[in-house]
Amino acid sequence: MNFEIFVMNGFGIYVWSSFAFTFLVCLFLFLRTKKTLKKLEKEFVKEAHNLSEDRLKEVKKQKIAKEILISHSRS
Amino acid sequence: MIKFLNPSYVFKISGKLLNLFKTILIPLVIIGLVFSLFLSPEDYIQGDSVRIMYIHVPAAWISLFSFAAISFFCILNFLFKLKNVTLIYKSLAPIGLTFNIVAVVTGSLWGQPTWGTWWAWDARLTSMLVLMFFYIAFIFSYKFVSNPDRSIKACTLISVLGLINIVIIKYSVEWWSTLHQPASISLTNETTVHFSMLIPLGLMVFALFMYVAVIFLMKYRIETIRIKKKGIKNYEL
Repeated sequence: MNFEIFVMNGFGIYVWSSFAFTFLVCLFLFLRTKKTLKKLEKEFVKEAHNLSEDRLKEVKKQKIAKEILISHSRS
Repeated sequence: MIKFLNPSYVFKISGKLLNLFKTILIPLVIIGLVFSLFLSPEDYIQGDSVRIMYIHVPAAWISLFSFAAISFFCILNFLFKLKNVTLIYKSLAPIGLTFNIVAVVTGSLWGQPTWGTWWAWDARLTSMLVLMFFYIAFIFSYKFVSNPDRSIKACTLISVLGLINIVIIKYSVEWWSTLHQPASISLTNETTVHFSMLIPLGLMVFALFMYVAVIFLMKYRIETIRIKKKGIKNYEL
């Protein structure tokens, strides 16, 4: 196996650390944001379904609320 | 134009764009990484450490671009009180802060093999660090200032002061003698980066901007749902 790809003439530690750090930070931000989004969608749907039927109909008339309910049911 | 300021239209479009960007993102990142880590040549002076540029430069650009956009939207909101604009800058600020941290850390990792030091209090590095504090102050001012009017005023003030710092960051390498090199890529002057390095750099810039778009759209949806949740609570009363 060609270790030169990883060693990079002695600069490997700096190069790989930079890429690894960026990757981990980006992955953390993505997963945290995704988790928050799913949690809020779930809470929104739960609260919407706790409403009386008439009020739920009113909520569903709002475009954004309708979109949230649809996107949650898809996922 | 008015259509793009309509929250329900923007929310609907954000869902579609999010799916599209997510699909493009992973192949784009893989191609960018292959080019920047394996296919691009080493620099004749800096050797392989130049590969850090493919992360450091896009991260710094995103950080600067995000703050400039935040300032623009804050001023717009201060003048015209547009609710949708608040959602935009709240969604952008954490992304800008993240890439500001990435730029500072990767810059430090690049500094050690090229300058022989992890950190120096030179104009470019210090002004980038100051930008990080502006981001933190900005995020605190919309998270912890409960009065909306005061929050908007605080956000606008911080973003305008931060905008001055953006100008300082841009011209720091020309105004002062710094360890940091002057800009190699310019729209007005000659670009001194070789074409073989511009391709991976361009790919990584595109990939990271695509990532920013994905996070931004997710955060925009989060902020919108938060507002809608408050609306549902009003229905319950």
